[in-house]
Amino acid sequence: MTAIRFHGRGGQGAKTASRIVGTAAFLEGYQAQDSPIYGAERRGAPVSAFTRIAKEPIRERGLIARPDLVVIADASLIPDPAAHVLEGIDERTAVFVNSSISAELFYAQTSLPGRLTTLDLTEIALQHYGKRGAISALLGAVAGRLVGLRQESIREAIARELADLGLATDVIERNQTVAAQCYEALQTVALDTGSRRPAASAQLRAPTYEPPTRGTASITAGPNSAIRSVSGWRTFRPVLRPDLCNGCWLCFASCPEGAITIKPDGKPAIYYPHCKGCLDCVEVCPTDAMTVERETNVV
Amino acid sequence: MNQINQMNQINQMMTGNLAAAWGARLADVDYVPAFPITPQTEIVETLSKWCGNGELNARFVTLDSEHSMMTAAGSAAATGARVFTATSSQGLLHAFEVLYTVAGWRVPFVLVNVSRALASPITLEPDHNDVLAARDSGFLQIHAETCQEVVDSILMAYRIAEDPRVCLPAMVNLDGFVLSFTREPVILPNPEQVKLFLPPFRPAHLGFKASAPHALGTAVLGGSTYSYFRHQIHLASMNALHVHEEAAVEFERLFGRRYDVIEGYRIEDAEDVLVMTNAFASKGKVAVDAAREEGRLVGLLRLRMIRPWPADAIRHALQGRRAVAVLDQNLSPGQGGILFQEIAASLYHDALRPRALCSFIGGLGGKNLSEGEFRAIFEQTAEAGVRGKGIGPVLLYTEAEHREMEQLQFLAHELKTGR
Repeated sequence: MTAIRFHGRGGQGAKTASRIVGTAAFLEGYQAQDSPIYGAERRGAPVSAFTRIAKEPIRERGLIARPDLVVIADASLIPDPAAHVLEGIDERTAVFVNSSISAELFYAQTSLPGRLTTLDLTEIALQHYGKRGAISALLGAVAGRLVGLRQESIREAIARELADLGLATDVIERNQTVAAQCYEALQTVALDTGSRRPAASAQLRAPTYEPPTRGTASITAGPNSAIRSVSGWRTFRPVLRPDLCNGCWLCFASCPEGAITIKPDGKPAIYYPHCKGCLDCVEVCPTDAMTVERETNVV
Repeated sequence: MNQINQMNQINQMMTGNLAAAWGARLADVDYVPAFPITPQTEIVETLSKWCGNGELNARFVTLDSEHSMMTAAGSAAATGARVFTATSSQGLLHAFEVLYTVAGWRVPFVLVNVSRALASPITLEPDHNDVLAARDSGFLQIHAETCQEVVDSILMAYRIAEDPRVCLPAMVNLDGFVLSFTREPVILPNPEQVKLFLPPFRPAHLGFKASAPHALGTAVLGGSTYSYFRHQIHLASMNALHVHEEAAVEFERLFGRRYDVIEGYRIEDAEDVLVMTNAFASKGKVAVDAAREEGRLVGLLRLRMIRPWPADAIRHALQGRRAVAVLDQNLSPGQGGILFQEIAASLYHDALRPRALCSFIGGLGGKNLSEGEFRAIFEQTAEAGVRGKGIGPVLLYTEAEHREMEQLQFLAHELKTGR
């Protein structure tokens, strides 16, 4: 069995990529299984997706703890502990990173243990699409190439999966063309999918009773939001121009994250570590006091 | 991609949710009362689309809540319509009183539940406290392991529920995420053959219509009438064991796939048996294979039908074993694993009952069941079998997870005390 794990940010296309690879493998007569994991969150949040390919029916389910190939759509996910990008990667794991940096340099900078390949899919997408959007077809093509699926089946799978999302024919064809370039830019890697050392028995430990100050879910509220920065999720940031603000508090009321507070003078203040860049505050502001700035790369 | 097999069935990749929608479509349902909830939404979205574009000739209505939705489902079934609906977790609990009510009306329809752990704390990922909370409602319960089994079980559920020996609503359960959002190859039964398997719904005791009103579930004080009708529900449910078997035989004849109320995996010569349900049973089978490679004689028993409870089949499958472990993906606070209790009760009077019964609680809130955890289960179960004394309930919770929790508690304390 070949196990592929995709890591991306909501909206990048990791889930669709996992489906493209699953469909392509199925078209070639393999058994396939694909599934995503995501929370209740939105665009920009870490997303994982999994594709398993085998000749026999697949019984493994859910997350892939020991992948043969890891496809990372956004390098900023690597240091994010919540994304679990590095889990189960060892020296035999093939790793692909969407990055402008060469594999050698990347390896030197991050010391990822796996066998690394890089290609700047975002730049390729920008050149051909002219805007930053989903790169699912390219991620799918890259993953399919690395595990040795045929170009025609990838092409057909892109058509099926993107049509399923309701995309127009010309958009699908453009995706197929660019995906073919990415496919041809890479070589299939020799995956070592042979039997692995069995996992050690889990060290279980029964939780003991804790007083409600420690043992109730109320404790998660503070640390969850207080220590967790979501700055990396933003492509754009809202910026307040206090001179234009009429103090209506609509931004404060509409912020889904509670990242906007009201200062003693009645004007709002944005706490950026908790701002995901949804720009709801910009939408509701009646005086255009909330402006938008492009985020520079936060990697 | 749409490969056609020798039985003229189409093979394609689909999620458990899409498979559930296909189950309703192939059953040619008349009415779909709906209310969306993650992770079930794709089911009602798909049916809404099909009803909208005419691919499914049914009336689709979005209700204001699951409580209304379940009332509408039961009421529509009382008119003789074939009804499908679906929910999950909090939605199932919101409909709770109606579950009992419509079961008492003896109206057959199919409710798909996409398992999701209950609040609080809130989550979206699966465990079985939602569906098992409804185990005493009178609904039949079939728990599916694969996307294929979802579509097949819905068809079987209609046939069993509508049988005059049963006439009860049926619940088909699939795990959120692990099946609901997971695509795998699914063979879609040929619609013409489905018609042979599932004749039109013509209930003799129903047929409520505007010109001929009648009351269902009227007041019966004094207890004896009530006892009689409730006991009839019990007998009807017990009948479903035999009706399931008939349906399984016919299903296999028409479609080539066989489903029994329980499924044994490598249990013929197994010393120790692990009991599981639902999608993670697939992982259990992988773990059985791994343990067997190391020489452990283990097997897996998957419970597919939970209501009615197939006590005889379970007793037969588990008698004479050294040890039995029940992995409950649920927790009844103050008691332990729900299925463990029922397994223990089923084995009590068997002279060949296992030397040890072990209770494990795992996969709560969708927590992964790792290879290492399965290993721990098999090791501890074998030890219990040798000892002749069971253990549990043992929560599958690792040292590493403890460290993460302690970190959270530390941060919470720091926040509270201002560091």
